[in-house]
Amino acid sequence: MTALPRYGSLYWLFVKNRIKILLEYRVNFLIGATSTIFMQAAGLLAVWVVMNQIPNLDGWSLPEILLIFGLITLAKSINHMFADNLWTLGRDYVRTGTFDRFLVRPVNPLFHLLADRFCHDGIGNFLVGLALVLVAAPQLGIVWDVPAIAYLALMVISGGFIFIALNLITSVSGFWLMDSVPVTRVIFEMHEFAKYPLTIYPRAIGALLTLLIPYGFASFYPASYLLGRNVAPALAWGAPLVAVFLLSIAMGVWRFGLKHYSSTGT
Amino acid sequence: MVATFKRSWRIYGGMAAVVPKLFMAYSIWVWMELFVSIIAVVIFVAFWRAVYASTTTLGGLTLDQTLNYILLAQIFSDAANVSSVIYDFGAGLREGQIIHALLRPLDYQIALYVQNVVQLVINMILRIPLALFIWIVYGLTLPADPVIWGAFACSLLLGHAVLFCFDWILGCTAFYSTEIWGMSVVRYAVAMFFSGALIPLDMMPDWLRVIATILPFSQVVYLPVSLLSGITPVSDMPRIWLIQIGFLIVLFFLSRFIFRRAVRVITVQGG
Repeated sequence: MTALPRYGSLYWLFVKNRIKILLEYRVNFLIGATSTIFMQAAGLLAVWVVMNQIPNLDGWSLPEILLIFGLITLAKSINHMFADNLWTLGRDYVRTGTFDRFLVRPVNPLFHLLADRFCHDGIGNFLVGLALVLVAAPQLGIVWDVPAIAYLALMVISGGFIFIALNLITSVSGFWLMDSVPVTRVIFEMHEFAKYPLTIYPRAIGALLTLLIPYGFASFYPASYLLGRNVAPALAWGAPLVAVFLLSIAMGVWRFGLKHYSSTGT
Repeated sequence: MVATFKRSWRIYGGMAAVVPKLFMAYSIWVWMELFVSIIAVVIFVAFWRAVYASTTTLGGLTLDQTLNYILLAQIFSDAANVSSVIYDFGAGLREGQIIHALLRPLDYQIALYVQNVVQLVINMILRIPLALFIWIVYGLTLPADPVIWGAFACSLLLGHAVLFCFDWILGCTAFYSTEIWGMSVVRYAVAMFFSGALIPLDMMPDWLRVIATILPFSQVVYLPVSLLSGITPVSDMPRIWLIQIGFLIVLFFLSRFIFRRAVRVITVQGG
């Protein structure tokens, strides 16, 4: 337990250094932090244009869809800010041999990998997600009392860990493939489904997003619960359990990868 | 005359032949792109089916027309992003290779253009698996008349050339700012919506449609794809080509003028 404060202050040290580097190029920092806003805006504008011309989408109103969209974006932003470096494990650390550096230091290598690059690009996603939830909530009669805020925070953080766990599992392939981006991207991209109500898809996709690649727990089910829709308690409250379960699998996969890691010798 | 042509062919043909070789090195990425595109297609189809559950027409289009347009747009929308000009300028300035490109006794713009055309063709060939998936799973209504196919190809190439010149002008700002990343992100996001890749221009409110028509992005997605999908009748072809050729002439001369000015302030970062 004594490790926790030590790693906490260590992480802060890493982030401070990273921000110092980023602020050397202030314009780049600002562009990076806001770049995802532009990308999200294009998709949202299309949804807005279409939804303005129809009464609802399969029984879901525009604010309801924005809430779902906002929740998945918030969860994604946690992964984007704190665990984006997982994407580069193969390309920037294993292939180049710099991963060896982590193994000779008295710090957990996974912690080191994550702390090595706080990704400010995720800030834009966080702002978009937050704005969507804040814009949608009053139109949906959601009252921000303590239980509602606590529920939202719990679900968003759990959703973030679902993203991180899935990315960790897939990025371990980088130990063998030298570049894990294609593998990670294929699973990661599944979260796109969870931007919309899962009811609009064929049943198999809803099941996939619930059982196998459970991004549904990060957006659709919590949103349904907040909206007072009919949703099983196991689905409405499942996100933390799913996150813990996936993380334990991910840690096992990570340790397996680490054991089989052989340096490239470059 | 013949000798000059032969020389040009050898030089520019050689430049063009590099692109496919570069590409073969990344086959796992090609499969990833296919998979990611399929996810997008499945989402689009589900979304539009849900939209049309509560209406019969939208922007004058039926569900079948919209799906046909959107699926074809998914296959061809890459044409709005194949141009590597902005990147070539940015990286060329940062790493200094742009000096070699400029010192060569050939026209830099033509060299990059032929490479971009080959890149377009490769991208379209790489879309064949996606097109097959769409055709088998969802079905496509394609024109039987070869004239429409020809009109589509001309319109796509013209639109691509227009966008190439537009990107050339955007890329020139790199000579002043030495930084292209932010601009390319914004350009990509604007292109995604205003090219008509997400929704056909017919469905946009007037003010958005006006912007989409003024910006060059719809020239390479909406105009050709609406021809191919049958939204735009063939009789409109001459009008569309006239617009595209007008855009092309203006942007071509503008791009050459701006490049000549911009190249004077060239600052290579540590090349």
